[in-house]
Amino acid sequence: MLSTIIDWIAAHPYQVVGLVLPIVIPLALFQILPLLVLMERRGAAMIQDRAGPNRAYIPIPFLNVKVRGFGMIFNLTDAVKLLFKEHFTPPFVHKGYYRIAPAIPLITGLLTPALIPWFSPIVYQGGVLSGQTIDANSGILMLFAMASLSVYGVVLGSWASNSKYSLLGGMRASAMMISYEVSMGLSVIGMLMIVGSVSLTDVVEWQGQHTWGFVVQPVGFLLFLVSMFAECNRNPFDVAEGESELVAGFHTEFNGVKFMLYMSAEYLHMIVASVLIATVYFGGYQLLPIPGFGPEWVKAHVGQVLAIGLVGMALGLLGFVWVIKNRKAIHARSDSNPQDKAERAKEYGLYMAVFTLAGLGLLGAAGASWALINIERLGQGWIDFITAAVQFNIVIAKALLFCWLFVWVRWTIPRFRYDQIMDLGWKVLLNVALVNLLVTAVVAKLIG
Amino acid sequence: MFESLNGALGPIYFWTFAVMALASAISLVFICRHPLSAALNLIGVMLSLAGIYALLHSPFLGVLQVLVYAGAIMMLVVFVIMVLNQAKDHQVPRFDGFSIIAIILPVTIGFSLVGFLGKQALKAEPTAVRAEIQPISASLFDLTAAGPGYYILFELIGVLLLVAVVAAVLLAKRRLDDPTPAAEEKKEDAHGHH
Repeated sequence: MLSTIIDWIAAHPYQVVGLVLPIVIPLALFQILPLLVLMERRGAAMIQDRAGPNRAYIPIPFLNVKVRGFGMIFNLTDAVKLLFKEHFTPPFVHKGYYRIAPAIPLITGLLTPALIPWFSPIVYQGGVLSGQTIDANSGILMLFAMASLSVYGVVLGSWASNSKYSLLGGMRASAMMISYEVSMGLSVIGMLMIVGSVSLTDVVEWQGQHTWGFVVQPVGFLLFLVSMFAECNRNPFDVAEGESELVAGFHTEFNGVKFMLYMSAEYLHMIVASVLIATVYFGGYQLLPIPGFGPEWVKAHVGQVLAIGLVGMALGLLGFVWVIKNRKAIHARSDSNPQDKAERAKEYGLYMAVFTLAGLGLLGAAGASWALINIERLGQGWIDFITAAVQFNIVIAKALLFCWLFVWVRWTIPRFRYDQIMDLGWKVLLNVALVNLLVTAVVAKLIG
Repeated sequence: MFESLNGALGPIYFWTFAVMALASAISLVFICRHPLSAALNLIGVMLSLAGIYALLHSPFLGVLQVLVYAGAIMMLVVFVIMVLNQAKDHQVPRFDGFSIIAIILPVTIGFSLVGFLGKQALKAEPTAVRAEIQPISASLFDLTAAGPGYYILFELIGVLLLVAVVAAVLLAKRRLDDPTPAAEEKKEDAHGHH
């Protein structure tokens, strides 16, 4: 029985991957979440010139080192705290909606990855494995539909909380949603008009044959970026949360796991928004913004592309070792007590050893992939899958850049006032989007 | 995308959506006491309908149903209900004189529809893609003289909506040029407190 199943899997690798991917990709995106939280905290510390998260640690017994993981341990403590907190339900809330509401944004956030083209379609004997789980023509509209549904989580939660602060936050969220959905849709239509298709796979393929979207639609890109900030409820548009005036806005009455669901949904939407920006305006899985380096070229040179990527990662790690070395020297000169100094020196030494080893390992892997990954040695199937994995990582790398932009903006620009947000949405973004649409239509018609 | 819908899973999807739609509709009319619950049940009906549209090979229609109705319009409705939270709508009696019309009319229409449609078999090709973007745009924007000319209707509806928007602004801002203090205060109120 088991051997029959294994034989079937070995005989139908593409079908099996096609079945597994819809579950694996959202879960893989979910794993970026703790990294984003770390990025947010470290980024905030860097921009505000603070020490950043450095208190929580795990002691390693035999080496006698405290591992702080640059604040990574805080994620663990956060998760433990939120999971084991008392599930307190305030007596005045609407119980049913109070329980359902936090799940809605997370569900829609986990559904959206199914609509993104993660890799170029793989043609195999007897079918096509699409990079999109739902390869619908109206894929981008479905993405917007999911985004508009996710606000119900905020609105419903705020209403169910039965508290003035929550309700104000929820009303702001729904008003902002209605306002910015319009300019979001209008800004992306310019790009769709140039491509001549609503399917995201077509959009990415077009960018591979011509150039990336932000070159042909710079205004549309900026509008879409701003609208995405608003859709994600991220600073400077996070008036729904508005700590300075609304306690904690829509999630004032939520605690423990329910609060965690809201928070993880926010970060998940940030990732999805970054992926969407990267897909529509930054070439998606395309390697370079010039034609000639499309999926076929990547597939033909996949070993080399992978090797260059690994070398880049290795150089990043080794550069990080250099940063740690400087930090170690700075800390040795500081005026903290000798015991703390000794502990820190040991910790930094451990990091340097681990990251140097990892960097050298990546360099070795790069050499191996340059030499070993080619079609004669591995055959078509493995090359197809490795290409798909490389393209997936290209999308993720681009998206992480935009995630960093989200963090950067959050800690740089102060929160807008509610009326400023409404003015920006209706009086500026909408009009610019309409003019952009008109100009694009005329130019596209003239060029042909 | 549609292979699985035509296969064994098709009826399961259909019955799930159908039961969801009916349950939400019954709950909307007979069970919900508060307008917000009713609105959420209406969203449930719309989402189920969107699923049934997709089963009928009209994914574009289904997506628009979610995007426009469940997403935008119902969000406005929910917004209004939340703003008017103080209106004790849930204390209004469920049935009054008007209910008679509200029951008789849909029942009549429903029965006549079933009676009319039930007499002849629907001759639709079950596997043909219907409301997808290309066929809709091809027939809507068929600019040839021999074409159906739907684009004229499309433009006319656009003009109609524009007129409606202008009228709504005029009605809402009737005292736009009225310099009395009351009107000024009203304007500032409309602008929002912060």
